[in-house]
Amino acid sequence: MNHTAPTPPMNRRHFLRGLGVALPLPLLLQHARAQPKQPAARRMLLISNNLGVLPGSFFPKQTGPDYALSPLLKNLEPIRKEFTVFSGLSHPAVSGGHSTENCFLTGAKDPTGSGFRNTVSLDQFAIEHLGQRTRFPTLNLGVNIDRGNRSLSWSRDGVLLPAEDKPSALFRKMFIQGRPEETEQRLQRLKERGSILDTLRADAKRLQARSGQEDKTRLDQYFTSIRELEQGLTIAGEWETRPKPITRQPAPEDILDRAQFFPKFDLMLRMAQLAFESDSTRIVTLMVDAFATPVFEINDEEKSLTGYHNLSHHGQSPEKIRQLEKTDHRQMKTLAGLFQQLRDTREPTGPLLDSTMILYGSNMGDANVHNCDNLPILLAGGGFRHGQHLAFDPRNNQPLCRLYLSMLQQMGIETDSFSSGQGTLPGLRPA
Amino acid sequence: MRRQTNIVLGKLGLVCWSLFLFTSHGLIAQKTFPAPVETLLDQHCMDCHGTESAKADFNLADLSRDLSKGKTLSTWVRLFDRVDKKEMPPEGKAHRIQAADRDRALKLLGDVLRGADRAAIAKHGRGPARRLTRDEFQDNLRDLLKMPTLDVKGKLPEDRRAHGYTRVVGLLDLSRVHLNAFLNASEEALMDAMAPSVTPPVPQKFKARGINLFTGLTTFGGREAMFFVRDNKMVVINGNDLKEMKPEALTDPKLHVAVFRSATWPYFGYPRNFRANKTGTYRVRFAGRAVRQVRDLRLVPAHDPLPMSFRARQPSGPDVSGDVRETGGWMDLQPVSKQFETTIFLKKGETFEYSFLGLPVPFIRTDKGFYYDFPPMPKDGHRGGVIEWLDVEGPLNPPTWPPPSHEFLFGQLPLKAPLPISRLPISVESKEPLKDAERLFRRFADAAAHLPLTEEDYTGFLTLIRKDLAAGMPFADAMLKGYQAFLCSNHFLFLSRQPDEPSLAYANRLTHFLWNSSPDDRLASLAKTNALNNRKTFEQEHARMLADPRFDRFIEGFVEQWLDLADLRRDEPDNRLYPEYRKDDYLVDSMEKETRLFVKTLITENHPIATIADSKFAFVNDRLAAHYDLPRVRGSQLRKVTLPDWNPRGGLLTHASILKHTSNGTTTSPVLRGVWVMEKILGDPPPPPPKSIPAVEPDIRGATTIREQLAKHTEDKACATCHARFDPIGFALENFDVMGAWRDRYRTQNAGEQITGYDPAGHPFTYHVRREVDPAGQLLTGEAFTDIHALKAILAKKPRLLARNLLHQFTLYATGTPVRFSERAEIERVLDQCKPTGYRVGDLLRAFCASPILRQP
Repeated sequence: MNHTAPTPPMNRRHFLRGLGVALPLPLLLQHARAQPKQPAARRMLLISNNLGVLPGSFFPKQTGPDYALSPLLKNLEPIRKEFTVFSGLSHPAVSGGHSTENCFLTGAKDPTGSGFRNTVSLDQFAIEHLGQRTRFPTLNLGVNIDRGNRSLSWSRDGVLLPAEDKPSALFRKMFIQGRPEETEQRLQRLKERGSILDTLRADAKRLQARSGQEDKTRLDQYFTSIRELEQGLTIAGEWETRPKPITRQPAPEDILDRAQFFPKFDLMLRMAQLAFESDSTRIVTLMVDAFATPVFEINDEEKSLTGYHNLSHHGQSPEKIRQLEKTDHRQMKTLAGLFQQLRDTREPTGPLLDSTMILYGSNMGDANVHNCDNLPILLAGGGFRHGQHLAFDPRNNQPLCRLYLSMLQQMGIETDSFSSGQGTLPGLRPA
Repeated sequence: MRRQTNIVLGKLGLVCWSLFLFTSHGLIAQKTFPAPVETLLDQHCMDCHGTESAKADFNLADLSRDLSKGKTLSTWVRLFDRVDKKEMPPEGKAHRIQAADRDRALKLLGDVLRGADRAAIAKHGRGPARRLTRDEFQDNLRDLLKMPTLDVKGKLPEDRRAHGYTRVVGLLDLSRVHLNAFLNASEEALMDAMAPSVTPPVPQKFKARGINLFTGLTTFGGREAMFFVRDNKMVVINGNDLKEMKPEALTDPKLHVAVFRSATWPYFGYPRNFRANKTGTYRVRFAGRAVRQVRDLRLVPAHDPLPMSFRARQPSGPDVSGDVRETGGWMDLQPVSKQFETTIFLKKGETFEYSFLGLPVPFIRTDKGFYYDFPPMPKDGHRGGVIEWLDVEGPLNPPTWPPPSHEFLFGQLPLKAPLPISRLPISVESKEPLKDAERLFRRFADAAAHLPLTEEDYTGFLTLIRKDLAAGMPFADAMLKGYQAFLCSNHFLFLSRQPDEPSLAYANRLTHFLWNSSPDDRLASLAKTNALNNRKTFEQEHARMLADPRFDRFIEGFVEQWLDLADLRRDEPDNRLYPEYRKDDYLVDSMEKETRLFVKTLITENHPIATIADSKFAFVNDRLAAHYDLPRVRGSQLRKVTLPDWNPRGGLLTHASILKHTSNGTTTSPVLRGVWVMEKILGDPPPPPPKSIPAVEPDIRGATTIREQLAKHTEDKACATCHARFDPIGFALENFDVMGAWRDRYRTQNAGEQITGYDPAGHPFTYHVRREVDPAGQLLTGEAFTDIHALKAILAKKPRLLARNLLHQFTLYATGTPVRFSERAEIERVLDQCKPTGYRVGDLLRAFCASPILRQP
């Protein structure tokens, strides 16, 4: 990208500080003015740590709105009204230890069985139904991620959609103009699709004249589909030609040291926030690949005794449990920071948090014993009535996809099922 | 129990049959029905169903007599049926109807309804055009493009189901999501159909010898789970040896690998350093033998063959990423060394691993630290397989080049190097692009369209191609785009009833029924000359269709949808109560094969319909024979065995597949099983349960049996009348557990006689057996039975009922609409025709295919 004016490299701390301080007027306010009027934006940030948290420290003992915060959730005390903690949720028939990590947003059954094929993930399902409304339908991010083998985002036919783990590349994608010939190529593709749709419409019109009343519904559906696809092409074309938003932010510097797990996690959350604020996308997935994280810095003074995966198999070793507790606490603090930032960032309709659902969870209920039931799940923001511990039967879990269905409907998608979720999650209501 | 309620609702009610019908206008509305009908309604129906607070939400006062509305007609048909079955008016009260009055009224009402239904068919056809299901889309493309392994179905949204069926007209809608998916899927299929290079690529070759037979020197489960052997003796190789041993020692052809566990997580049993460079079919040759591991890691020949297969997957280590596909078929290693050859399908970047079927599963232990345990050794030793050497070659090139799929798209035009402005891997040279384009496109469109095209039909697509060529698009790119458009047009995506081409439209219905795809050239040309009206020609063609490999698509699709096998893997057995089935995929796969093979045999061997209820034979392999308590058989191939009298496995009802999917993995429900049999086997689906009644929760502590609970539930007379229709059938099936194994007593978690043992993962388990199963019952029609044997004998004496149901199931699968009221007589005619020889299944299928139900547009 050397045709753009080079920005002086800044270190990570500058970048983070910059976000909090130097950006009093969020980009999206400027952006909103420039945009034609659209329905209120709804957003999703979907995060999974593939080794989860210590269940004993995470799940509250009481249920309902007046529950006492668990040790880990104490970190979220200032914003306890802004999130719901769930227990008794899992994906039915999704077992097979770590192999379940790729099913966290899909709910596809038996990931290690012969005949397994992953299915469409929550983010991709949402996009199928919403169509493109922003420059990027979704952004798929990772921390320390093994890109070839893991992702939260999967196509309908079970193809892995690789995660971006470089903040600098994301930044370029969002804010730096691409090469004109690349844009031209993409526009050409859109044009080709458009001419196919024209041909199909003309062909169907002739049929319509020939056929009787009984085919009317079918042909109506066909014409509607063509029209909607064309609208999508138009929007995609507009995004290609429209200049990218301007940010005063310098490009972030990638952290290459995988031991810097928390700074990397934090930086990716900031990138997600920046993506929302600039309305580059409204759906972000983020897999925190703890499994692929080697020995890491729990804090400035302490390193983990072993790699994250080995640590998670604590086998009741007090040393390891102590370190995992510290790790989980810091993770919760990091999340609390994000929730607060989004609450304090305002868009015309209110706090950004109110329009942004943030799901945090894991495919592991208890990584120590490879248990995939009773998953730790948090949902913050997004316009739900929060502030409670919504508990379901630990022996007979509710499908996690029922929560996903509630989220899809909150996104404005009219569907009555998603994967193993055949109804919305009881007890969770929009505000 | 939420699931139970959902299943009942899903199966029975919510998707109303009226979805299949459609509204219309213009028929003359009738104000009243013939007098005897109105009298009957007045005297016997209106006092309960004539008000706002009408019983069962059925308000007759507001029900129109205008039968031109599909929904109204179907409501009257429902009323007709309830009265006809003497379910309404209810017994007692003031409803003593003279039989003669009733029959007269019913006959008159029947005439009215039949007339209205015939008028609707005459006007609209028996069902509107429908979209192809995603299975049909894929199979049509496979046949059209001559690509038998084409895989595009996954790109399409799943089709919705009603009563198990995906072909239901009203549910096959089309949205932006669908059309976009069809566009993407056709684009990809067409690109795959092109030759990938100018000359055939040189296949990748790989030989695994010695330690290269296995990635890793150990596997999860410890030494007992896997080791290398030379001369039947265990050889310990560790990481250091790898560095120190000479290469020829590492790949010593006498060094073999022995594996004693299943391919379940965590496991990566693939050869070292192999990855498919390209997507395609690979040939695998290998030698192997079945062994037993006896004391101190010693190997001796096995007593029995050991079934194995391969699993295609990413080489991602123990954790699975991406698809896992069983490929290469089931092969049985023998106690003596034997060479095998098979073909496997791999996607680019994938590898494949050994999957030994029915072996134990190492499982995590946390009681003494954290490790993977192997189960204790059985008396005969651990069963295992030895792989001695293995060769891979592929992708296999087609016998001709360019491949037939390419030839179909581009004829004999020469292949050239790719062009920079093209997305394709090669280019196609045309000296006369406009002429070639027209010729090739016409050929393509004629083959793809389900019905003959008019001259205008080509024009739009040809214009698209010509414009692109004029704009400088390379020839192949422009052609593919035109083809892509055509595959997403109405000519391909929809099956039309097309009254002006009745014979060809009929041939299409016939082949989409039996082949999931379009007529081949022979059938199409016979249809064009109306030759299918000739009985002899029709019978020859029908026999040819059944003998064709494409008929397996019918077996797979129809059996899945009729018998709900799509639900077979919905629930895993509860490890607390059924630990012995942990990860027993081999058993579940065998169940599925059994049911398919049984149904196929009923057709191809033309067995009497009563065979569905009971048969003297069953199809089993080693695993199923054990599951069914039958004498031992060897190997994985399913074979016909004669059943001893005491064994209950004859007929469909006692197939493990059906018993499994009608339970929930933890408990069985006589209600669900009974309702399922009524709907799918006897063709008499009970009405949906009232909304306000909670389902009965089975008690897994075992203090009361489900039967006792149901007895309480049905003390209420309102519940009892309905439950009496289906519960008894379910009671007889209570002798079968959640996986379809026989049981005399119910298992419980903590009360009763204690049973202990080790599950296939080596976990010690404890459960209990407690209350005895009581399988006796009495059908609503009066016949009493003591157990499943007696029930099957009763059902086997109702061949016409069973045959009628099968015809109804054929109708739904073949046409996407249920048997219409006016077609009931036609069904009876087919039954009469098949009666003299005992309603044989093959005869029923053939007679159905020839009947007006399939013939009429």
